[in-house]
Amino acid sequence: HAGVAQSVVTGQVTSDDDKLPLAGVSVIEKGTNNGTVTDSNGKYQITVKSSSAVLTFSFLGYVSHELTVGGRAVADVTLYADQKQLQEVVVTALGIKKDVRKLGYAVQELKGESIVTARETNIVNQLAGKVAGVTVVGSPSGIGGSARVTIRGERSVDLNKNQPLYVIDGVPISNSITGGSGQGNLEVDFGNGASFINPDDVETMSVLKGPAAAALYGSRAANGVILITTKSGKGNKGIGVEVNSNTTFERALKLPEYQNKYGQGNGNGGDFAFVNGAGGGLTDGTDEGWGPEFKGQSYPQYNSPRTLNGQVIPFLGGDLNAPAGSVITPTPWLPDVDGLKNFLRTGRTLTNNIALIGNNDQGSFRLSYTNLDQTGIVPNTDLKRHTVSLSAGYNLTKKFSAKTFVSYIKSASGNRPSISYGTESIMYLFNCWLPRSVKVSDMERLWMNGLEGRRQFGWNYNYHDNPYLTVYENTNGQDVNRIIGNVILKYDFTDWLSLQVRTATDWGNERREYRRAFSTQRFPFGQYREVKVNTEERNTDFLLSFNKDINKDFNVSATFGGNQNRQSSIYDEENAGQLNLPGIYNLTNSRIALVASQSKVGKRINSLYGSASVSFRNYLFLDITARNDWSSALTLPTALKAFGTENNSYFYPSVALSAVVSDMVKLPEVISFAKARASFAQVGNDTDPFTFTQAFNPSTPFGSSQIYGETDRLANLNLKPEISTAYEIGADLRFFKNRVGLDFTYYQSKTKNQILQIPLSQTTGYNGRFFNAGEIKNWGFETMLNVTPVEINDFKWNIGINFSANRSKVLELSDGITNFVMASKGVSIEARVNERMGDMYGIAFARVQNTSASLPYYDATGQNVGQIVYKDGRPVPTTNVQKMGNYNPDWLAGISNQFNYKNVKFSFLFDVRHGGKIFSETQVVGREGGIIKETLEGRADGYDLSKPGNGVIGDGVVQNADGSFSKNDVKLTARAWHTAFTGGRNIAEGVMYDASFVKLREVQLGYSIPNRLLGNSPLKNITVSFVARNLALWSKVPHVDPETMAYNGGTALPGIEYMSIPSSRSYGFNVSFKL
Amino acid sequence: CTNDFEEVNTNNNVPNDVTPDLLLAGVIRNMVNSQVNDAWGIGNIVVQHHAKIQFVNEDRYLWGQQNSIWDNVYGNMRNVKNILDRVGTDDANAYKGIALILKSWMFALATDAYGDIPYTEATKGKTDGVYLPKYDTQESVYAGVLADLKAANDILANSSTAVSGDILFGGGTGSLIKWRKLANSLRLRYLMRISKQKDVKADMQAILADPSKNPVFEGIQDNAELKYLAAAPNQWTLYGARVGSFDEFRVSKTLSDRLTALKDPRLMVFGRPSQSSVTAGKPVIEGVPNGLGDVPALNYNGGPQGVSRVGYTFACLVCNDPGQAPPDPAAPRGIIMNYSELQFILAEAREKGWITTGTAEGYYTKGIQSNFDYWKSVVPSSYGINVTPDASYFTQPAVAYTGTSAEKLGKIALQKWIAYYFNGLEAWFDWRRTGMPEIKPGPDNLNQNRVPVRFIYPLSEQSLNGANREEAVKRQGTDDLNTRTWVAK
Repeated sequence: HAGVAQSVVTGQVTSDDDKLPLAGVSVIEKGTNNGTVTDSNGKYQITVKSSSAVLTFSFLGYVSHELTVGGRAVADVTLYADQKQLQEVVVTALGIKKDVRKLGYAVQELKGESIVTARETNIVNQLAGKVAGVTVVGSPSGIGGSARVTIRGERSVDLNKNQPLYVIDGVPISNSITGGSGQGNLEVDFGNGASFINPDDVETMSVLKGPAAAALYGSRAANGVILITTKSGKGNKGIGVEVNSNTTFERALKLPEYQNKYGQGNGNGGDFAFVNGAGGGLTDGTDEGWGPEFKGQSYPQYNSPRTLNGQVIPFLGGDLNAPAGSVITPTPWLPDVDGLKNFLRTGRTLTNNIALIGNNDQGSFRLSYTNLDQTGIVPNTDLKRHTVSLSAGYNLTKKFSAKTFVSYIKSASGNRPSISYGTESIMYLFNCWLPRSVKVSDMERLWMNGLEGRRQFGWNYNYHDNPYLTVYENTNGQDVNRIIGNVILKYDFTDWLSLQVRTATDWGNERREYRRAFSTQRFPFGQYREVKVNTEERNTDFLLSFNKDINKDFNVSATFGGNQNRQSSIYDEENAGQLNLPGIYNLTNSRIALVASQSKVGKRINSLYGSASVSFRNYLFLDITARNDWSSALTLPTALKAFGTENNSYFYPSVALSAVVSDMVKLPEVISFAKARASFAQVGNDTDPFTFTQAFNPSTPFGSSQIYGETDRLANLNLKPEISTAYEIGADLRFFKNRVGLDFTYYQSKTKNQILQIPLSQTTGYNGRFFNAGEIKNWGFETMLNVTPVEINDFKWNIGINFSANRSKVLELSDGITNFVMASKGVSIEARVNERMGDMYGIAFARVQNTSASLPYYDATGQNVGQIVYKDGRPVPTTNVQKMGNYNPDWLAGISNQFNYKNVKFSFLFDVRHGGKIFSETQVVGREGGIIKETLEGRADGYDLSKPGNGVIGDGVVQNADGSFSKNDVKLTARAWHTAFTGGRNIAEGVMYDASFVKLREVQLGYSIPNRLLGNSPLKNITVSFVARNLALWSKVPHVDPETMAYNGGTALPGIEYMSIPSSRSYGFNVSFKL
Repeated sequence: CTNDFEEVNTNNNVPNDVTPDLLLAGVIRNMVNSQVNDAWGIGNIVVQHHAKIQFVNEDRYLWGQQNSIWDNVYGNMRNVKNILDRVGTDDANAYKGIALILKSWMFALATDAYGDIPYTEATKGKTDGVYLPKYDTQESVYAGVLADLKAANDILANSSTAVSGDILFGGGTGSLIKWRKLANSLRLRYLMRISKQKDVKADMQAILADPSKNPVFEGIQDNAELKYLAAAPNQWTLYGARVGSFDEFRVSKTLSDRLTALKDPRLMVFGRPSQSSVTAGKPVIEGVPNGLGDVPALNYNGGPQGVSRVGYTFACLVCNDPGQAPPDPAAPRGIIMNYSELQFILAEAREKGWITTGTAEGYYTKGIQSNFDYWKSVVPSSYGINVTPDASYFTQPAVAYTGTSAEKLGKIALQKWIAYYFNGLEAWFDWRRTGMPEIKPGPDNLNQNRVPVRFIYPLSEQSLNGANREEAVKRQGTDDLNTRTWVAK
């Protein structure tokens, strides 16, 4: 009776973890070809041949469920996430999706959802605290600036070479930074390549940490790969609309703490009077805060009204064009306590994304538009970004499919702030040279009365610019057009052999516009500078893939591929260093000859690669890869062929092994899953284009005499490729029915033959010389612990902890060189043999010692050892630089907690960085200027040294003529002391801080409105979240967020704080729904 | 398909080789700018032409490393060597002669500033693979310098090359004689400089014996000086300075006292009346003592208004006083050597009996007169400064060439010191030899009341050329500001 009746079964499949319908679940009548898939609402309908039919529901990542129909017409099914099987699929090199259980190396993935909700304008900031072994340091400039990412520490002594490779849909994109300084302009951070990626188009972000994971990407993958897979239309039948809207507000996370007791002056104890802001009055040319105490007195000030013959006239103190004979009326002498706070704005970021999604049997598409509209916390800084992306795939025939992703990004900023130390930087002013008596907001009036556009109005005309003028008139505009796209064609010859051909481009066209107003300190006649940067990276590749079960035990898959990578960039710059007329920002308005510069750079890498994976009984997996690159950058130009040895081809292999032990042997009940993995890999690397050129560079002519000069670094015509070799072992363990998961990785890598520009004594005629040198060893471990302490009915609590520690050591530099200065700004970052990478060196306080009688400050008695030595009341600097610490953290940890209760989700993430040092220039110059609160030391009650608390006697000793030591008893004035403390910007020791911090990185509270409550409303899957990032910071570093860096000519310098703009805390909400 | 890799990696943005004329102008400009900046930053301070009222470290002898001469000399020597390498052994090529003169002047600057320096092995990184050049003694550097200058004079005498890129003397064939005059005048300067250690009589006399073979400067029109241009970026180097930075430097009290005592009108060129004296209706130049601490320096004589700013001629764009004509960025000049200095060298040599031609008084008077003439030609008339001295200037006891020989030498030194104004570090180098006129360290100096006599080697040399530097230090003495080098011992 059973074999004849046909019946229709319908139902809905939902997922256990979020209770939402699952689309695309395959529903098959067991033992037949009869099957269907669920639609976008998780619904299915199937006609079964018998009432005893068994339906199999299967979906990637979920435990397959079998259901005996038993005559039912309706059967709803809940699928459970498959943790035992670990069917976690991650995207690995070349965009190949792999089951995590097969991987012999560490890969960690972030889902798009988490990136979108609590978002960052620069997507890579999202990695902080979430991925073990990844260090992210944000931009010192705010809005969408660059972020420096390092994975498993630093391998290269070239600071620019330690960043990972960014790959979108299997194709590398450019992550270059083009520096913003030059022609008298300070640094501007215009963002690095990766900062333009639109979070709304990201399905997943995988971090391939070691070379084994990345080997197939070649040269640039030695520092790991950040692999971004874009969203596609797959999984939804029919047409759907997805909308996501995000609104956040930003405020400064931490403001410097200034003193509020003394105003402008130079510590002479006298009065203050503004006359011309250039020394014409009483200390009105001084830009320091060592002036009279705030005691309710009144002084003529820059913002005080002027009177003429007793009548108030519409001129203020700072209007130097006021009628002769006008008098500045004194006004109260008060601190501008909230000057900076009022100057900074509440930033606002609106991001709206709408995506149209379609899917049928033949293909799918996703068309998305994202609008980002951001205003920074610095006034008149903004970022507007439009992104249109299309992702589409179509099965042309059963065997032939085409796919494409194309994204057009238009990003514009009217102004990005100037950073670093100098008049164009607002933090240089606020933290160092803006006396507390200056009322900042009154400078919103930019110009002297009647001289609009010609002469700025301000508190000081000696050195400084009005900060409002700096941000409103002296802008650094940017306009970027970028297209990232690829086309993929795939042909399946059989079900085990396919060929894929792909071509991709990352094309960027950027225009920068620097405007400087008349009367600006650096540009009395203004300036207009235009920079155009064109970059292109094209990749064309093919991939032949083979995948076959050889017998019931063995599966073999193999690939063979080739890639051609073409990079080019064109840089064009024109500078009008002085303008004829104010306010006309056009190159034709130049008062002097335009200065132009131009360069075109190209590079090509051809590669062939292959991989083979063998799996045995689905528990033992062996992966082998090999790649050979040919690089144009290591190719000698024809004219130089005869003079060097060319070595432009390099081969590198990798091997990875993974074993699911829990499937191989019977383990105790408590262990639900156990996997061990090991890998070995090499990655070769080339160098920058034109390294072999010994060029003669043009410089501005002198009158009609043209000028050239030879470049100051020596080419080396015998360069070899760099090679990095890495080992990695790891284990993935799950206990108590997957309630506890532990993943552990230990790795070690050595990078050899680095292509460095080693410094030479200037007396050789050159500053440096290219050289293959050095060996750097990295090692460390990463652990991830996932615990579900509570899971009762609808309530689930998840804890995720990741912890990592890395050490990098310099094993060797080159013959005769034991230290290599990587960068220098306040302190120098040096690689020294047998020392750790990231060590910073600077001048220290000289101290008494008893180790060597031939060295200074020897104390045979030993009583004073360690004391700081003073001379004339000032700490004595050491003759040579000493180690000031290392900027790398000792360890990093991220702790996340997630609570789910029915439709409510609450999560928060702490990001912990322990150890490491930071040098603070704010501390150096903020003391000198008498601005920061530390400068109250020594002026408890003004400047009269006879009063207690005034003046400072440094704690230490002086050396007497007979060589003995006695207590320092020379008292310095507060002003002298705070400059002596750094030996006049020389001694770094006093301004090094422990850079450890704990940040409450992210908080999310989300509620998904159950669709059943929405009735017939077209809106579905409505989720509303409150989101916040960087809500709180705990750190010992005064004044600044320790998570910052300096920025120098396109190089990010970690461990150095140099007048960075305060980082921001953001909070807001996110709404998403589907139609 | 790596066929086109050679082309891809060929840098077509810039040339791989250039002709000497294209290198020459760059070397001259860079070195003269360095000369001016060194004068401003250190030279004028240490010899007390100027004094600082803010950021007073230089004035208190808290010098640290002073690498500008080192970096500029060796950095530009690369291109000097490129010129020489391109000319090769062609002894009729004027570029060779000119390059040798620049080379000599530059190495003399470096050895005067630091003492023993890399010389014979210097700048051979590319051609000879010398990455760790040894340091030569100052004595042998000077021997080389003098030999090269002599060779340069001979080469230029035989040359008819029409030179271009010569922004110092204007190029063509007409400038060759001027370069020869510079070569021989520099020979006399450096012979005088080493005269404490060497008997230079014969060499000096040999130069002066045959003026047609060894021409020297014959007037201020022969001065070796770079005339800046009106248009940026080849303007007077201080023209773009911030007014506050410019005003940190003021007229030194030493200068104002000495020149006021002489009623020397050049004081009005070097400084301008203090603003408070102008306000009070009695304009007068008031200098500030050198070597004061931060607070006393800034508060001296009632503050910045009470001390004279540096002269209009040298000012930055926005450094003019109310009512004053705007500064002319093409007025001031970058001096390598001027005619007045040569006259004072000859006066001293004649006074000491080392040379036999002319009279000491004649040279001395010409030295003074030509320096007045020089400033008259430099200072724009729109500034309204009268640089002509009263006739009584030359007859006043402090100027008249009278007294004992020692007194006469003192007067020569004083006038030479004035004429050295804004000439790099030359006044300091010369003072180290003679000790005249007296330089008193300021009251708040941080060098135990000693005037520094040299720069320390750049700290980078410790790690980049350590052994050779160490050897030089062992030979020469401690690497500090107070170790006298061979010429000044």
